[in-house]
Amino acid sequence: MLRITHVPASFVLFSLLAWSTAVLAQDVSADVPEEIGPMQAMAARIDALVQAKLDREKLSPAPLATDGEFIRRAYLDLVGNIPTVAQTRAYLDNDAPDKRQQLIAQLLKSPAHPTHLANTWRSLVLEPSDEPQRLQNERGLQVWLRGKFSQNVRYDRLVEEFLTATQGSDGPGYFYAVQDLKPEMLASETSRIFLGLQLECAQCHDHPFDRWKQHDFWALAAFFAQLERPDNVNNVGLGRFDIVDRNVGEVTIPETDEVVPPAFPGSDANYASFGGTRRQQLAIWMVSRDNPFMPRRAVNWAWAHMMGRGIVHPADDMSPQNLPSHPELLEELTDYFIQSGFDLRLLLQTIAITDTYARSSEAVSDSEAPPELFARMAVKSLTPEQLFDALIKVGLLKSDVAQMSMDVNRDQFVARLRTASKDRTFFDTGMPQALAVMNGPPVSTATSPETSGLLKALSAPFLSDQQRLNVLFLAAYSRPPHADELKRYKQFLQQAPPDQQSAALGDVLWVLANSAEFMLNH
Amino acid sequence: MNASTDSRRRFLQATAGMLGAASCSWLPQLASAAGSDPNRKRSCILLWMAGGPTQTDTFDMKPGHANGGEFKETKTNVPGLRFSEHFAGLAKQADKLAILRGMSTREGDHLRGTYLMHTGQRPGGPLNYPSIGASLSKALEDNQSMLPNYVAVNPSGLLNGNALSPGFLGPRYAAATVGSRNTPPADDSEAMADLGVDFLSLPPGIDAQRHKARLALWNDQQNQFLARHPSGAAQAQATIFQSAVKMMHPDAASAFDLSQESSEVRESYGRGTFGQGCLIARRLVERDVPFVEVTLGGSGLGWDTHQGNFPAVERLSKELDQGWSTLLRELNERGLLESTTICWMGEFGRTPNINGTAGRDHFPDAWTCVLSGGGIAGGQAYGKTDEAGQEVTEGKTEVQDLLATLCQAVGVDPATEHYSPQARPIKISEGNAIDQVLT
Repeated sequence: MLRITHVPASFVLFSLLAWSTAVLAQDVSADVPEEIGPMQAMAARIDALVQAKLDREKLSPAPLATDGEFIRRAYLDLVGNIPTVAQTRAYLDNDAPDKRQQLIAQLLKSPAHPTHLANTWRSLVLEPSDEPQRLQNERGLQVWLRGKFSQNVRYDRLVEEFLTATQGSDGPGYFYAVQDLKPEMLASETSRIFLGLQLECAQCHDHPFDRWKQHDFWALAAFFAQLERPDNVNNVGLGRFDIVDRNVGEVTIPETDEVVPPAFPGSDANYASFGGTRRQQLAIWMVSRDNPFMPRRAVNWAWAHMMGRGIVHPADDMSPQNLPSHPELLEELTDYFIQSGFDLRLLLQTIAITDTYARSSEAVSDSEAPPELFARMAVKSLTPEQLFDALIKVGLLKSDVAQMSMDVNRDQFVARLRTASKDRTFFDTGMPQALAVMNGPPVSTATSPETSGLLKALSAPFLSDQQRLNVLFLAAYSRPPHADELKRYKQFLQQAPPDQQSAALGDVLWVLANSAEFMLNH
Repeated sequence: MNASTDSRRRFLQATAGMLGAASCSWLPQLASAAGSDPNRKRSCILLWMAGGPTQTDTFDMKPGHANGGEFKETKTNVPGLRFSEHFAGLAKQADKLAILRGMSTREGDHLRGTYLMHTGQRPGGPLNYPSIGASLSKALEDNQSMLPNYVAVNPSGLLNGNALSPGFLGPRYAAATVGSRNTPPADDSEAMADLGVDFLSLPPGIDAQRHKARLALWNDQQNQFLARHPSGAAQAQATIFQSAVKMMHPDAASAFDLSQESSEVRESYGRGTFGQGCLIARRLVERDVPFVEVTLGGSGLGWDTHQGNFPAVERLSKELDQGWSTLLRELNERGLLESTTICWMGEFGRTPNINGTAGRDHFPDAWTCVLSGGGIAGGQAYGKTDEAGQEVTEGKTEVQDLLATLCQAVGVDPATEHYSPQARPIKISEGNAIDQVLT
């Protein structure tokens, strides 16, 4: 319906835009996973459990998203950026009935996927920083994470390696450096990240609403009580930070003399029966098959990453008082994750091929189902990194965004747009940030005819306004313009003098780039 | 430089269409003398002393005691009330200042103390509390204003932590930041600090006419998406971008343009970021902005004088004195001091005893904050410390009481409740206002 019929024009356009296509355009048909049966069965089960709850509440789910909505969402969630015009076109033109599943499989195989996961996990693990030296160090951790995700290392193995890092060249060493090797900080951060338990309130007092007592907190901290940083001058640069496990060192509850021996939260397993250093003992317990917290937390993270909120929300606060919206779903997905051998990629794939994930984010009625019912897709803010990369892509300002390279402009943009909230269903920014987007680079660069690769590509004289607008909309929104949009913008372009056509297209691109539809993942 | 009448007119045409007639009510206000309006709401200026200033060398001196240090006391225009010799300007206006010498808090770490003093809450709890700037600007906000309700001048990235955060009030109440666009001038620098809001003007090559055309299309595009996606995130994006467009209006943007002031006035505030920040605060208060925070000591270590306390405090005190005393004088001359309350505070005080490196360390037990201006009964010291400055002996004041007093002074009931995401009503302050320092 929206194909360009003018052959030379479409040919030229395709060539102009194809150069920005990332490494994704590969043959995928040969790659049907052997596990497809169980994965599809689990996906169907997810949909059934979500539907059952909606039925009980007498509410209906939203219809499935359009192709344009879906490809943009899947790209942002799985590879962290919007698709190019060529990628979108190929997807819209694909008539295969299973093209959604094909797309998901393709994205998960792309090298951009582990990069995006590493970005996501880096900000989960570390408080964001804009200080150049810390950014440099964070990259060390990111490289490590990316390596694990690109090999799809078993998640339990990843947790174990993270917790017991000792080598100066290891990324996770930097996590220990950031926490100053303090047992109480390491306890509260690792339990939040890997167990979904927020024990830090119990640091100073017995938690009034929770089952955790001050003693539980310090017993967990005791697993980190025997760490030491050797005095090593080579201990600098790129997250390098050696850690030595000694066999002395204990924690005491502050302002008391009470020495607290190690103990696992919510478990009476005897740590001493586990071999190795204190940290190894903790790691063994954390990844043991009967650990009730670790896989649930991973599943809840994956769900929240894809759906905007966890089955338990907030996703990193899975205390017994904070109940899941779909307890059965959480348990079954957790079992599935364990059965799969802690395969994080398969878990993301399973969630991504559900109808629940594929629902439109549009409102269908005045009485909307509350967000915890997952009747429609949540609208999520792009991260500052995603927004920058999307703006670069929409202006075709770089043919290839290097995966790990330093980019001062990107760092500055990200620092400025950084938000306090970790909940992506908020749009948590202020006026100064909005001003920077409207008037600063990269938007000003992407929308100026002198600097915008896209506007230069569109200046070819044989293109019609309709074709040009099609490209702009595909680039920004991954969909062609609606009829009323086409009418409005064609009229706008017609009013511009001939020598201002490119500038006028730049104005259209400015409008799209500053719009909610562009700045949100929906 | 004034924005030319012509560009102003064209900009007005550009924005009038999208903003609607109602939004234009700010226009006459800008021209009028805000102070003459009996219905004018109060404003608050927070002078934030990053690093934690020493009380013993500023407003609660201990002459004759070993802890007293090098500085001499000076008389003020209030009999019996004495300040450090480096507050010559403030000493002439001590009748406008209430010195709270009995501050006593429980956080001795910079980030934690910053959070505590800004929110009234100790950090680490499950709830992300709003800064007092966000709470008061919400209580005092002007929906019609084209300017942000909470402006922070040159906040210290190092020490603020989440202190400027709107917390559970949401991004609408976040501080708009005014930053320094040149390297912060050193103490002896001749250069004037260049403060401003980044990206407040249109990018090169875009004139008002094109801006107008873009905004008309943008408005349609936004409305279309919002109609189909009534989510909080979409609403917030639309609202915040709309507000930013308003702020670009030359009349609003000019509030931040210090080149509109004479060089005599600029000099009188001091050339550094603090002095120029106080001048921006005056310009914003003139335009009814409810809350402005100006930081002194944001770059470098500020008041964190663990070593070499005395030369550093002398320099900081002179910078503080010049900015603050000129601010008091100018607000008074313009009839704005009645309706503007100024609060001076940092994250904690410093140890009365002088350490081995001629410095003073962190000390939350007994220290000083100062309230001045509107609603404040000046010319007094409230609370006392002992001879050595180690303990509060009278008028012990906790952070919640200080914030309650500040609320009362600006005409906001401290018990005003805002709602947390769980719909739990939370008072701005649970403390008791100190009647003795209120008018």
